[in-house]
Amino acid sequence: MKKKIGVYVCHCGGNISDHVDIEKVKAAVRDEADVYLVKNTLFACADSSQKEIGSDIENEHLDAIVVASCSPKLHLNTFRGVAQRAGLNPYNYVQVNIREQSSWAHSDNKTGATEKAILLVKAGIAKAKESEALQSLKIPAANVVAVIGAGVGGMKTAIGLADMGTEVYLIEKDFFVGGRTPQWGTVSPNGDEGAILTEKLYKEVVRRPNITLFTGAELVEKSGSIGNFDLKIALRPRFVSGNPSTEAMQRAAEACPVAVKDDFNFGLTNRRAFMLPAQGQFPQVPAIDQSACTRCGECTAACHEVDLTQEVQTITLHVGAFVVNTGFDPYQPAQGEYGYGELDNVITLPQFRRLMEMNESELVFNGKKIKKIAYIYCVGSRQDDDEGNTYCSRYCCTATSLTAVLAKKKFGNIINFHFNRGIRTYGKHELVYEAASKQGDIFLQFSLKSIPQIEKRGNKTYVKVKDILTAGKELETEADLIVLVTGMVPRKNELLAQQLKIPTGRDHFFNEIHMKLRPVETVIDGVLIAGTCQSPKNILETVNSSMAAAAKINSVLTKGELSLEPTLAKVNPAACDWCDNCSKACPFDAILQTEINGKKVARVNESNCKGCGMCTPVCPTDAIDLAGYTNAQVESMIDALAEA
Amino acid sequence: MEIQQETCINESLYDVLVIGAGIAGEESALKLADMGYRVLLVEKEPSIGGKMILLSKVFPTLDCAACITTPKVSETARHPNITILTLTEVEEIVRDTKNRFSVTLKKKPRYVVEKDCTGCQECEKACPAIVNDQFQFNLTARKAVYIPFTIANPRVALIDIDNCLLCGACEKACPSNCIDFTQKEEQLKITAKSVIVSTGFKLFDPIQIERYGFGRYKNVITSMQMERQLAPTRPFNNILRPSDGKVPDKIAYVFCAGSRDHTVGNPICSQVCCMYSTKQAQLLMGALPMADVSLYYINIRAFGKGFDEFYEQAKDMGAKYVKGKIASITEKENGNLILRYEDIATGKVTEKEHDLVVLSVGILANPGITRVFKKERLETDALNYIRQTDLLQSPAITSIEGVFAAGTATAPMDIPDTIMSAGAAATETSSYLARLS
Amino acid sequence: MPKILVFSTEKISDPAIDLAGLLKKHYPYTVYTISVPCSSCIKPRWIMHAYEKGFDGVFIAADGSDCSYGESCSDRTAEVVATTHRLMKEKGLKPSQLKMAAICSVCAEPFVKHITSFMKDLSQKEN
Repeated sequence: MKKKIGVYVCHCGGNISDHVDIEKVKAAVRDEADVYLVKNTLFACADSSQKEIGSDIENEHLDAIVVASCSPKLHLNTFRGVAQRAGLNPYNYVQVNIREQSSWAHSDNKTGATEKAILLVKAGIAKAKESEALQSLKIPAANVVAVIGAGVGGMKTAIGLADMGTEVYLIEKDFFVGGRTPQWGTVSPNGDEGAILTEKLYKEVVRRPNITLFTGAELVEKSGSIGNFDLKIALRPRFVSGNPSTEAMQRAAEACPVAVKDDFNFGLTNRRAFMLPAQGQFPQVPAIDQSACTRCGECTAACHEVDLTQEVQTITLHVGAFVVNTGFDPYQPAQGEYGYGELDNVITLPQFRRLMEMNESELVFNGKKIKKIAYIYCVGSRQDDDEGNTYCSRYCCTATSLTAVLAKKKFGNIINFHFNRGIRTYGKHELVYEAASKQGDIFLQFSLKSIPQIEKRGNKTYVKVKDILTAGKELETEADLIVLVTGMVPRKNELLAQQLKIPTGRDHFFNEIHMKLRPVETVIDGVLIAGTCQSPKNILETVNSSMAAAAKINSVLTKGELSLEPTLAKVNPAACDWCDNCSKACPFDAILQTEINGKKVARVNESNCKGCGMCTPVCPTDAIDLAGYTNAQVESMIDALAEA
Repeated sequence: MEIQQETCINESLYDVLVIGAGIAGEESALKLADMGYRVLLVEKEPSIGGKMILLSKVFPTLDCAACITTPKVSETARHPNITILTLTEVEEIVRDTKNRFSVTLKKKPRYVVEKDCTGCQECEKACPAIVNDQFQFNLTARKAVYIPFTIANPRVALIDIDNCLLCGACEKACPSNCIDFTQKEEQLKITAKSVIVSTGFKLFDPIQIERYGFGRYKNVITSMQMERQLAPTRPFNNILRPSDGKVPDKIAYVFCAGSRDHTVGNPICSQVCCMYSTKQAQLLMGALPMADVSLYYINIRAFGKGFDEFYEQAKDMGAKYVKGKIASITEKENGNLILRYEDIATGKVTEKEHDLVVLSVGILANPGITRVFKKERLETDALNYIRQTDLLQSPAITSIEGVFAAGTATAPMDIPDTIMSAGAAATETSSYLARLS
Repeated sequence: MPKILVFSTEKISDPAIDLAGLLKKHYPYTVYTISVPCSSCIKPRWIMHAYEKGFDGVFIAADGSDCSYGESCSDRTAEVVATTHRLMKEKGLKPSQLKMAAICSVCAEPFVKHITSFMKDLSQKEN
């Protein structure tokens, strides 16, 4: 039992003190038994306050402290650190959340918020009284990271980690690395080519001995936790071994009788079941699309490297952490959305970019020469709540302005009409918008309430809009091609989501713990996210977040060991009659049978125990407890909260 | 004591010199220090934390800025691998024969013995010299001896010698005898294997746009001044307009003040103003429920995660977004202001009266640091930001090998993007250091 | 006003309750939360203790399928509830005084809805 407790009540600027009467809280807990001092502080987390708490611990010989401030998710570790530096065991520290769960939740009721805060602080004091000093456990951690997804982001994560001395498994589901970037052609106003960027990165990846690249690879099983994950990876057969010559590859592709839609060109063209890598996709080794292949064997004659006997292989890997770089899919418009799928001249922006790549000097689509292009923005972005994606996809205004500039430059006689909802070329991208305006592009603006109408009259297509920029005037233009500026949605990958269980936000993108404090970490320790699987980003932003993830996880694993939370299960052998319930309940095989003085009892294997406590309610004799959540602690907290 | 410390610094070899201790510099320093590198973090201001520590809340989560930034500030301050020098400027950086950087630093005197000051503020009470408080953006005054702001780190006093009357009142008042007028400017020499430039941005000074009347009309203020009025460490505990201390009830925001404007030499978008104004509007509507808040904009750049939803939320709360560029502002006798603009919704030139106008000022490059690099040139782009020589593949790389850039030194960006960019710079630096050894 | 004790989980449902506060989604202030690592570690005796000490209702904000400790969490938590219901019956407490729902880490709104309707049910029963 702790006898000399220090209690600190934080104003948090006004975040707490505006809705909770701090003086009342102080007065209410001052006379609690074993409370030695009570102080208030403007910002408990500020350095000066931290120092004050530290010197109180030292000078007054406090044996436990309670800070009533914000959510422990923000500052539990901050104050545990304060305790530790002052020589107090960090587990004799209790954080009470009177901000998120009192002042903010009850900002409509100051009396109620204050009353609740008082009881919460009392419960915290009760917990502190019963708190025990715990020693954290050091375990070896593999300085090895599995990077999932080998687009630009994944490759940058891998390269960054490898250069800092971390071993990397780069795991790509597709048979080719490069992700979405090679599909875009020119990706910046400076003329950077997506395919060249991925080629450079691929060369950097293969040059590094501490990166192992797996293509056609998927995570099918994961166990363990940060520092020590065991994975099973399924490697789909490529059906091609070695490095066939370009001629052999071509011959085999021509020999293949099976044609399917080419995903790389977003279905604008067909490809064979015998797949050739596109420009910017690597390795430049073909692969056979198992789902389309009829196993007719025509390709085997043309290319000796084809081996149709290959089968799925499963390998196991041991890693310390994951970085998920699974990227995005372009939004797929609904049938009939702005005429998509119904009119033959309505395509998406990614399709249009492929079309631009496929046309040399003249822009032709479906045999028709294209002169007037209407871009309709925010397709699949900034939708109504009930419709779906309420978010802005960030990259599209800039990408479309750049596309319009490139189209005019490449094909000359082009007139671009931009039907937008307010151009969002943030930062330096403004210059791209300016270039589009300067070349004579026409910008018209609509609101969600009155979206552009597409109409086919005869063999001509018209776009009609109430233009905000001309005081709501109804304008109409003819268009040869309608380009739907589709936003980003997270790339579909249900198997991975199932395995890693990363929480997603309302927008279905993976969620970081905190946008500013911990932007690349998820609530699952050791599973980091980077790039567009977290939120829409352009290439530069993707690269930055990928390298930030590399820095974060390297700094965690580089020491080769981790300290584990000591909040583990603990058996009281005197009360234990070994019934096996606890070991059956444990999902981590952390409970073993042992013998003490001839009596069979349970024992906790500490390096396997994750501190979930699943074993505790199933014990018929109440012989197993979770440190930090003992009966004494929880029940004394309930006593405090129940006070009238 | 002093001399010993100086020799110690002089002899030091650091893995990384980080210039600028705003959030970018802190984040890079922390990541590298966590990896085991020795970092010297140099800051020209008396306190670390940059501009973020002065903000109210941050978009789009409305977390209080201080709550997010102070823990990083203290983590930085007490990290065993990080040495911090405040009030220190870099004078010269030159590559030596061992492919390291020989760095000359100038440490300005604080006139207060840092390690002895307890932050009791007795000196402030005693000081008779009153001057504008730059950390409150001149909204209030401070003394010549002062602690920069409540949550400053280090929370230690300093003497603004230019405004000091040398009366000695502070010396008499100080209970720990730490006022020391004999301190001199020191020159320090250190060696660093690599450099991170995280020198941040400058705020646009709207005095350049005469038609807005900033500097002439008292009730035209900048968004940073509003930011201070909304911050937890706010000067007035209320929102007041400067001319008469009245609580305003018709507030206008003028977007793109100094951004997207060739006439002031800044054609680009500052990337943060739409959102910080939207945030301020939400905070104002919370603080002054009866007030009318109108925001005059050209385009709303609500592009990041959760931004568009945040913008929609402001509209739902009652913020009036008016599409139209402000042509001029004129002042009435009662201090109110008439905004003249073309209302895009109607196509007509319109006038509206407000009692407080906030200029959403943009951010500008802060390229001064390029001058300290000798023999090699730290290149800038057409907008004076540090040039990213491999923009898409390695955004932190600059024109000088071993010198990396983080945060708004390279382009306007918001806090999450800055943190990412600083993380990327840490990876780039760590990779470089690994190649060196 | 009835008093409710909430058992939340540190990584999943407690962040949702925090989010409710952050978004100023108000709920009755007589709702008190004790956070535990996983909903499957809540002991029936704790819940019974709460009723004994005067709480009118107990709400388990469960991890559901989001639990990072594994899939067995849901079943284990259901067992805790079943055991507690047996104990409650012995003491003459109504089963409706114990509620459980899976609250994901961003389920601020569902949390407030659940807790408000639970509060309503409890106050109707009291009258």
